[in-house]
Amino acid sequence: MSEKTFPVLPCLAALGGLAMGAAQLMILLLAPEEERMGLIQKIFYLHLPSAWWGLFSFFLVFACSLLYLRKRDLFWDNLSEAAAEVGLVLAGLALLTGSLWARVSWNTWWTWDPRLTTTLIMWFIYAAFLLARRLDFTPERRGLISAVLGIVAFLDVPLVFFSARLWPGSLHPQVVTNAPSGGLDPQMKLTLIFCLISFGLLWAALLGLRCRLGRLETLTEACLGACLEARPQTASRLYPEEGEKNG
Amino acid sequence: MIPEALCLARKDVTLLVGRGSGLAQSFLLGLLLIFIFSLARGIGEDFSAQAASAVFWMATAFCQVLTFNSLYSLEEDNGQREALLLLPAPAQHIWLGKALAGMFLLLAAQFLFAPAAMIFLDQSVRGDMLLGLALLLLADLGLAAAGSLTGALAQGQAARESLLSIIIFPLLIPLLFSAISLGAGVLSGRAEETEGWIGILAAFDALFLAAGLALFGFIYGAQE
Repeated sequence: MSEKTFPVLPCLAALGGLAMGAAQLMILLLAPEEERMGLIQKIFYLHLPSAWWGLFSFFLVFACSLLYLRKRDLFWDNLSEAAAEVGLVLAGLALLTGSLWARVSWNTWWTWDPRLTTTLIMWFIYAAFLLARRLDFTPERRGLISAVLGIVAFLDVPLVFFSARLWPGSLHPQVVTNAPSGGLDPQMKLTLIFCLISFGLLWAALLGLRCRLGRLETLTEACLGACLEARPQTASRLYPEEGEKNG
Repeated sequence: MIPEALCLARKDVTLLVGRGSGLAQSFLLGLLLIFIFSLARGIGEDFSAQAASAVFWMATAFCQVLTFNSLYSLEEDNGQREALLLLPAPAQHIWLGKALAGMFLLLAAQFLFAPAAMIFLDQSVRGDMLLGLALLLLADLGLAAAGSLTGALAQGQAARESLLSIIIFPLLIPLLFSAISLGAGVLSGRAEETEGWIGILAAFDALFLAAGLALFGFIYGAQE
């Protein structure tokens, strides 16, 4: 009999879901409407947490890549893939919400802004990272290639940011950092912090679930391999080309 | 480290130049891109220095993908990767050798692309030519270091050209921004606009030189 363990992931996912619901209510009911931008400013409560947690996911990919190269444990490779997938979704969400906001506030869907450009380039880099993982490599080779790419990609990000900053035409507001008080109304700040926490809970749940899926995937592949090895007739029926190749 | 790498670079350049077809393909692709983008200019319209510089560097970037793919294919297609690893030196020599060969071939390609861009995009150099050449070398160093590292990553795959493109292009963005701006500054003679970009270019070179030295062994060497 296996010992019953506390269901961390379902609890985290439920908590994340509830917190996200509460965050929506806070955005609609508690946070005041910004004077100049109006209702569209409220998209900021989704935009900023998506961008921050997306960036944190990419940092996690970098850290896991370093650990994989050091320890060669597939756990870190699995975690790195999960973080890249969740990060890609969040960075995509940040780009989408940012673009909607920009259309109303700046009258353009896109501008060569450092943070916008950096997020887009990160999105491209990590999309390539995930595509490279889907290719036909052995798990160890895949882990090595992903780890090298994960390190180089993250180190390249500050250069992308600074080069985009030098490019003319930056419009991005510094909402959180350019004033001693953070430049936000206290209720706005409270809503923002709650949104950050809600996104964090959801992020942790998604990351955990994706890691679990990755572990099950590896386990299934290993079981299938062992079964087919034990029953070569089934293997040759399922994969006739492989059988011919092996004589 | 340098003599072994130079020896390897000489071998690669000799093989690629001797075969001709792979090299001609990358050179022709770059020239075609410059020609096709020249069609964006309407009759009697000017092509800005910034746009011309962007087209030149885009042609170079595509040429880089094909060049580094050809360089690594020399061993990969003939199943000689292990033979290359028998070189009595650390795997980083292979990275450096391929980077040097790639840089030489890129410079040769740019020797064709530059006049083609001048003619098709109707440009002339108003700035300091020597400065332009120095900046070109600085940018090519980064392209070669990054190309040699990512070229090794993409090997062993049927779709390695497309894989290499999707890996390398987003990584090259800081270098391309800098090279395009610096190129535009040299073409228009407004060197004061290029301040700051040289630092980005040097940082990119330093990052990929360090990454190549530190990480190449993991993807190509005995550490795998």
